[in-house]
Amino acid sequence: MRSDAANCGGNCEDALERLEAYLDGELPDTDVADIASHLAACYPCTDRASFEEQLRAMVRRDCVETAPDSLIDRIRERLADPASR
Amino acid sequence: MTSSPDAAMSEAVSDGGSPRRQQLSEAERRARFEDEVMPQVDRLFSAALRYTRDRTDAEDLVQESLVKAYRSLHQYRPGTNLRAWLYRILHTTYISMYRKAQRRPQESLQEEIDDFSFYDEVVRSGGGSAEREVLGALTADEVKQALADLPETFRLAVYLADVEGFAYKEIAEIMDTPVGTVMSRLHRGRKALQKALSTYAHERGLIQDLDDPSAGDADDHEEDA
Repeated sequence: MRSDAANCGGNCEDALERLEAYLDGELPDTDVADIASHLAACYPCTDRASFEEQLRAMVRRDCVETAPDSLIDRIRERLADPASR
Repeated sequence: MTSSPDAAMSEAVSDGGSPRRQQLSEAERRARFEDEVMPQVDRLFSAALRYTRDRTDAEDLVQESLVKAYRSLHQYRPGTNLRAWLYRILHTTYISMYRKAQRRPQESLQEEIDDFSFYDEVVRSGGGSAEREVLGALTADEVKQALADLPETFRLAVYLADVEGFAYKEIAEIMDTPVGTVMSRLHRGRKALQKALSTYAHERGLIQDLDDPSAGDADDHEEDA
């Protein structure tokens, strides 16, 4: 881990460049530690990261639907009938 | 009927080993399908709605996809990623049902989208706790509409990542595209989604447009310090 990571100055740009992949859980462990320590020390970046997370949580929550029972019935009927599958 | 996507599917979703074909009796097939696949129907229907943007089409898409999944269940290797396998089937079924004849131009988003930041806009116009309030005030319908309005390839990448939680590599397999392409679609798609949400927020006076004061509600209380 870089020792200057906690000092915020100049590191924000670097952290923000990797923030998306960080939030996606797609960064290698060494980079994760880098970003995490930057976020721990830098309020503006933490605030931005939590905004991004909140937005994703909102999209995730709002796009959940329930399949109509009639659809489930139709699928089971079709699978039960060898001619229709 | 187009050629079966089964070969591509088992290749795409296998984790490196050669796909083991299983002999399944009809009863075993039915039982496994009920136990493992049917519990995913709500999720698949949610995805199909984002794919097709139409309830009837979404129902048709789920039905066709599940019939295909049933027929090729012997190709699914237990212990590998069932959800990725099902979404790959959903994706290929969608392409063959709805995009067969349509020759669409390469989809793109405006270059400027890369510079957009919803967070910066909200902070500029209100600061402090304003950003949480703006997000909280956006409705589920606005979020769904903003997603629905994204060009297809961006919409699907954002959906698969942010709603379904698939990894870049899984999305690449589902959409049959390089990981780098997934990353760029995700990045730009998310920006465009934020831009659309920001437009709703502006229209409803949730955030003030500093560049163009007329865009905000004049009769809303103003905070000109």
